[in-house]
Amino acid sequence: MNKQVKKDVDIDAIERDVQGNILRSYSRHLVRHLMLEVTNVAAARRFLGVAANGGSEAVPAITPGSDWGKAKPPSNFNIGLTFEGLKALGVSRRTLQTFPVEFSQGMTKRAMKIGDFGDSAPDKWPAPFDTPEKVHIVASIHADEEGQLDKVEAQVAKAFTVLGVRDGRGLGRGKVFFGYKDSISQPRFKWVKDRTQATADEPLDPLGTILLGYPTSMEDMSFRVPYPDALGLNGSFNAFRILAQASYDYEIYLDEAADFLLKHKDVDLLLPPGAEKKVGKGLDRHAALREIVAAQMCGRWRNGTPYETSPDTMDPDPDVSPTNFDYSAQSRCPAGAHMRRANPRGGHIVQRIATYTRRLVRRGMSYGPDFDPDDFDRKNPDRRERGLLGNFLCANLGAQFEAVMCDWLNVGLQTPSITGTNDPLLGANTAETSRFDLTLPDNAGTISIYGFPRFVTARGGAYTFLPSLTAIRYLSEL
Amino acid sequence: MTNKDTWFNRYVNSLPTRGWFKLLSRYVVVPYWIWRDPKPKLPGGPRESPQPSENTQRMMNLIMPLKDPSPMGRAMAAMAIAQNVDEIFSGLDNVGTVHTARFLILGDNLCMISVYDGDFSNYIRDFIETIGSVFDAVISQIKGAEHMIPTCDHVEEFIEWVHDHDLFQAPDFPTDLFALQDAAKGLPTDGPAHEIMTLPRDLILQLHANPNLSLGGGYRSYPGYSAAQVRDKFGVGW
Amino acid sequence: MHYSDLAKRIVDELLRPDGSDKLRPVHTIGIGATGYFEPSEVAPQYCKADHFITPRTKATLRFSNGSGSKTQHDDWSDVRGMATRFHLSDGTDTDLIMMTLPEFFARTPEEFLEFTLAAKPTEVHWVSPWKKIWQMLHLIPPQPDPYPDEEISPNEGAIKFANENRYSQLAVFQAAAIGAPVSYLRAAYHAVHTFVVTGEDEVERWVRFTWQPIDGVKNENPLDPPGADYLQGRLRDRLADHTSRFTLMMQIGEVGDAFDDSTKPWPPHRQRVMMGTLTLDHAAEDTKAQDDYFEKLSFNPMLLTPGIRASEDPVLHIRKEAYAYSSGKRDATPCPFSGGAEDDQ
Ligand code: HEM
Ligand code: HEM
Repeated sequence: MNKQVKKDVDIDAIERDVQGNILRSYSRHLVRHLMLEVTNVAAARRFLGVAANGGSEAVPAITPGSDWGKAKPPSNFNIGLTFEGLKALGVSRRTLQTFPVEFSQGMTKRAMKIGDFGDSAPDKWPAPFDTPEKVHIVASIHADEEGQLDKVEAQVAKAFTVLGVRDGRGLGRGKVFFGYKDSISQPRFKWVKDRTQATADEPLDPLGTILLGYPTSMEDMSFRVPYPDALGLNGSFNAFRILAQASYDYEIYLDEAADFLLKHKDVDLLLPPGAEKKVGKGLDRHAALREIVAAQMCGRWRNGTPYETSPDTMDPDPDVSPTNFDYSAQSRCPAGAHMRRANPRGGHIVQRIATYTRRLVRRGMSYGPDFDPDDFDRKNPDRRERGLLGNFLCANLGAQFEAVMCDWLNVGLQTPSITGTNDPLLGANTAETSRFDLTLPDNAGTISIYGFPRFVTARGGAYTFLPSLTAIRYLSEL
Repeated sequence: MTNKDTWFNRYVNSLPTRGWFKLLSRYVVVPYWIWRDPKPKLPGGPRESPQPSENTQRMMNLIMPLKDPSPMGRAMAAMAIAQNVDEIFSGLDNVGTVHTARFLILGDNLCMISVYDGDFSNYIRDFIETIGSVFDAVISQIKGAEHMIPTCDHVEEFIEWVHDHDLFQAPDFPTDLFALQDAAKGLPTDGPAHEIMTLPRDLILQLHANPNLSLGGGYRSYPGYSAAQVRDKFGVGW
Repeated sequence: MHYSDLAKRIVDELLRPDGSDKLRPVHTIGIGATGYFEPSEVAPQYCKADHFITPRTKATLRFSNGSGSKTQHDDWSDVRGMATRFHLSDGTDTDLIMMTLPEFFARTPEEFLEFTLAAKPTEVHWVSPWKKIWQMLHLIPPQPDPYPDEEISPNEGAIKFANENRYSQLAVFQAAAIGAPVSYLRAAYHAVHTFVVTGEDEVERWVRFTWQPIDGVKNENPLDPPGADYLQGRLRDRLADHTSRFTLMMQIGEVGDAFDDSTKPWPPHRQRVMMGTLTLDHAAEDTKAQDDYFEKLSFNPMLLTPGIRASEDPVLHIRKEAYAYSSGKRDATPCPFSGGAEDDQ
């Protein structure tokens, strides 16, 4: 029955055909996302044709997924198409119908499912995301210098109407706002060499986790490849999300949580007297409790050290593996922690059948002004908008991205002790209802903290299809 | 105030119970309004909402028309279920989010009635993964569903099909029907108000588009708890 | 206490021409009762207020018809009220005021004033039979004919208002169909606003309260009305040699719920906590002394006690002043807020 199992695949050919940044990350300093409308179909097709065939003086080349080794190009250029974009390029009705429903409806129609209500509701999104039907393409330029971004943008603007631009950057040392080191854990794909995950010991993910046309981790089950194969095969889907992060409010909440804990009757269980020295260099009790809360809410200390394997200190000696650990009933990493919700790994979950089936590739950079969690003015709230330009890639948005968002990050169905609560870092929380349970050592139970608001709000986004280079050529020839 | 309680007024008041008026309503008035103000069929199943208690103990009322409603065909459908009891029970245990589930043969339909936690698509997808073969056996007895066999190769399509055959769940608060109908027509749900006394008509017309429906979200004795939470509290493992 | 112009204006405008400024401007006809409240064993986990941790708390109640008419019309379709005062162990009181309508007409005091003005009782109209036929052909149920002695009614204005304001539709629609209970003891009552309760572990929850009659909810058949005066008699009869009980149910609000907007009831699927049982054992006797006592009582929804506080619902907050001002206006026994002093919290 498993028609699509290919015993061996020509991984080089696949990597040449898929767009870059899917199977491996570019690790650049800067990104610019262009939200494009197709207003001149002929010009758009011409552009895509050239871009998919290596580019020209006037048109940037689509960066493929093959390893560029030492020949690092000055910039990378990739595109994702929304359903409206496919329509605008003239894709037939019959073909359109072979795309999954969540993609054809688009991100704004799925808002409730992915927690975009209240301040995150699409009707509060700024331009160009207030007219989702006009956002046809999200083109992404990655580079290390701003001049490269400008150059490619100018080329793109000749063929498309640029509705909006979002610039992102790495904050340095792999950090994102809220001060965490990010992009440590990623799925590891069968056949694909990825230096960053070389020593990770999670089970290999089949290619069908990320690309259309290959076996998935669900035995027997495969996702529909949009018709024809030239368009669908080697494609992927992306949930592009602009997620504003309330950095100031996050730090203030950590203050409040630490104040609350200092007065809690069980605080010495959470942090035995004197143990604050061990938590991190130069921390007093209050500061150590702040870091413990931050670490338990994420699943990692802010410097990236996994909480599961190093619950007492952010600087374990000897060092622990950043990626290799698993969860159990005795875990110190709370079941409600962001990372454990997003990927429960091999730990026991309610939906046993779903173990390791909802994997996501994450590619993101930060936007907005700097915020230093170690040095900010508590008296003058800095609430300027800043956050993450996040890309969540998978073969099926419904089975992976949405499934994680609606049952795990929010609602918390996977473990009964957290069911009814939302992800403390980015869930759809309100101060009136939020709750997070901190674990205590030696299975001594938990301390619940309450009253935190929603720290991450959606400010735009789109579901896009990331076509293969073959598919881009197909689209250019419609 | 003059007494307006005339013979004519009393007669008009009694019209809704008079045979001729009922016939008139049924064969002329209602069909006219169905033509004049058609309502889109409203989608089945629980609606998306952020509250945890709306995401636990959700109802599925899946009504599937039997291909062969004769006693023979019914027996085939009954057998398809009976022969797969092991598959179904172990499948439900491994899906982990189901409170109760049962099959009925009702009228010319095979019905699957269940109470489950979490997202509908995840529920059906997980189900196909564990007991796709049972679904195949079941839908081979169903009108207009053969093209989705095997279901594990038609996941997206099958989920949509089930959604379409799941009963519409009337809102818990009657005036919410306005907003649902507006949304189905792509109109803003905070636009100008409807006249409230048109609500009964809107309900009649909606029942034409969705002749079968679930009346509200139903009663729960201990709402807001997942199946795993209940099992956990009783100490029977999850 | 200082009364805002808005609070005074609303109370003044509520008074109907067929009401009386010696009586309450709404919920004008009523009857007292007494009994006691016993919390459930889980109640203290959710609310540490005195009456949820004390085994038994005495309670004084007043049941009422919502209308502001001073003429009794028990069998007319109307919202009913159930105001409960708990006499706490330290000698203070706390009130819990509920009505049979599960939601309110307006989100803010300003909107409620608009509603009050729009729904001023007007002379009742008989809809002409021709218009009724027209409506039936439009599948619109005609307005019921006025009651035999009915002269003025708020219905027409309320419906017109609801046709223009989505937020008031549910309350107006449900109020229009609410009917008459067979007894004050056979209706469910709702506190409508959100309150914040604090449990013994200091955790706060945003909640809504409902009284559920253990005798069961039951309405009169509108086609066979029992007459204008039966509710008080039946209450006295029932409590003469029985007790009657209500369960206090508490819904817990969740993310996305309306905490400050009482036009939006919460669906019945929220977690519900059984908070306790109210047992009624006495109805006010049919004497002038009893009548004076209960009719002079002043309840106030903001008369709360540590362990329960008000949400931010602006309607709940203005009710504090409105009830106190109304109490003074009709020369009633003051509630702690109507003492004249500036004792705003
Ligand atoms: C602004 C919003 C977000 C922030 C600040 C954030 C932060 C983080 C951090 C600090 C980590 C740990 C670093 C690592 O293991 O790589 C992480 C891991 C992860 N996050 Fe997020 N995240 C955000 C949004 C999301 C969303 C929306 C999703 C999913 C829909 C998601 C899915 C994941 C996954 C799958 C992991 C890896 C877990 C693992 O494999 O163990 N994140 N996130
Ligand atoms: C802005 C909103 C409201 C205003 C201005 C208002 C005003 C009033 C006034 C002035 C009284 C007479 C008080 C007295 O003279 O002692 C009264 C009584 C009453 N109201 Fe309200 N009301 C409002 C909302 C509500 C709501 C939401 C409920 C139900 C939950 C309610 C239930 C009652 C009841 C049961 C009584 C009778 C109390 C008794 O028996 O003494 N009211 N109201």
